[in-house]
Amino acid sequence: MARIDIRGAHVEFPIYNVSTRSFKKQFIRLATGGAISADAKQHIVVSALNNINLTLTHGDRVGVIGHNGAGKSTLLRLLAGIYEPTKGDINIQGSVSAMLDIMQGMEAEFTGYENITIRGTLLGLSPKQIRQKIQEIVSLTGLGDYLAMPVRTYSSGMMVRLAFAVSACISPDILLIDEVFAAGDADFVQTAQKKMVSLLEQSSIVVMANHSDGIIQDFCNKGLLMNGGQIIYFGSVEEAFKIYYQTGTKHDYN
Amino acid sequence: MTIESLLSINPTSAIADEAVIFPKQNQTKLALADLKNGLKAWRAWLMLAYQDIKLRYRRSIIGPFWITLSMAITVYSMGYLYSHLFHTDLQVYFPFLVAGMLSWSLISTALIEVTEGFTTATGSIKQIKLPYSLYIHRIAIRNIIVFFHNILVIVPIIIIFHKNAKLNLHSLMLFPSLLIMYINTFTWGCIIALICARFRDITQMVKSLVQIIFFLTPVMWDPVILPANIRFYFLLNPFYALVDTIRSPLLGATISNLTLLITALVTIFGCIISFVMFSKYRSKIVYWL
Repeated sequence: MARIDIRGAHVEFPIYNVSTRSFKKQFIRLATGGAISADAKQHIVVSALNNINLTLTHGDRVGVIGHNGAGKSTLLRLLAGIYEPTKGDINIQGSVSAMLDIMQGMEAEFTGYENITIRGTLLGLSPKQIRQKIQEIVSLTGLGDYLAMPVRTYSSGMMVRLAFAVSACISPDILLIDEVFAAGDADFVQTAQKKMVSLLEQSSIVVMANHSDGIIQDFCNKGLLMNGGQIIYFGSVEEAFKIYYQTGTKHDYN
Repeated sequence: MTIESLLSINPTSAIADEAVIFPKQNQTKLALADLKNGLKAWRAWLMLAYQDIKLRYRRSIIGPFWITLSMAITVYSMGYLYSHLFHTDLQVYFPFLVAGMLSWSLISTALIEVTEGFTTATGSIKQIKLPYSLYIHRIAIRNIIVFFHNILVIVPIIIIFHKNAKLNLHSLMLFPSLLIMYINTFTWGCIIALICARFRDITQMVKSLVQIIFFLTPVMWDPVILPANIRFYFLLNPFYALVDTIRSPLLGATISNLTLLITALVTIFGCIISFVMFSKYRSKIVYWL
């Protein structure tokens, strides 16, 4: 059974190339982004996530809402195990797959097929598993003969199709999604959403960040509102959006 | 889902009522897991290394054999020129230089490439959870693959200068030697990549040091020409030992005991230091990028 537990987790980035002097006895909070402060060694520290407490269990479909720099993507990366918390604890049970920047790792000189193999291998598939899934991936891309062409000849929408198709071919216990349907035409968004629904149904826990309210309202049963690296609200989707829009003009909740 | 059921979700469920036992995070265990998963993902790094080479020579007609060709041009012209400059016997010097340059290019390229082991992989480190050791394996194996392209350069030497470059049982030592090189590229690679991710000046420093090490290490010159009283210190140079472990089997010669001893020490120290550093700093790498 998949389960996520986070207690008092912090994610803090040391920034080495900013002059410490200018920030010395200051504690600056930006309108967007996390708090900037200095640590004991006088390094500038950007606190991207601040004291996160969260428990997710089987069946949770969480939509993460927040302004730019609220910590949505950082939270997803914390859940993906990319950032290990600088303070606090995190415990994740179940296999995790993250669709963060799906365009990452696309090699422009290689053909679509080659890129499918590269991506599949990085996702941990064996050549045999890739061969089994290739038909499904190819039909999901809808790119046909274009897959034999180098990716540099693709339009950005075609690249999204390819990237999405490969990323969507594995079924994890915990699925993390960050802004997937960015480019891509209406036709593809429909196919992708269909695939997404079946992926979501297979996964035990889903956490997604998206700027489109509709997608979160359609897919999610819980809303998580973030601001300044902190969880402001975790509960029903409607309530989360209500608070988000009520306080929307005022960026700083603290 | 109905409105009622949505409202029934307790907003404070973010803080769970039951106590969750968190397994104590042990950095040593996590580092071991990273190394283990890195080895398990051999398919991924082998493929990435192969793609790196393929990508570099894509759309060129002779492809990766440019590696061989450029190496051949360099070492053959150097061999001819320096044997005359140093007034040495071409029969002895030419094979020595070619074999030496082959091993040096393996070591120096690996050394330069590991400095950016983590920094060039920033994009993928921040997007996909993969073992950190995978990125170092990729560089280490890539250099071994390049070496096998370069090695063709030695073939005409073995035919023409058969007195001083032989193919015999000692040549078989090349394989264990390359394994040692692989291990050292990996262990020292982890150390250097870590340090260079945190202190970006070290990257530039290593790159300029490589050139100096080249002149100080007996690659172009035979240590025999040094005065006896200072020769010993030059022979202690770990880079000399590493060059020699590859060069001797290439020439069909035995590897000297001193070389074996120093190489063993370098390898053991590399394993220990890299494991200690990797355990301590592994989780911080992503924060440094």
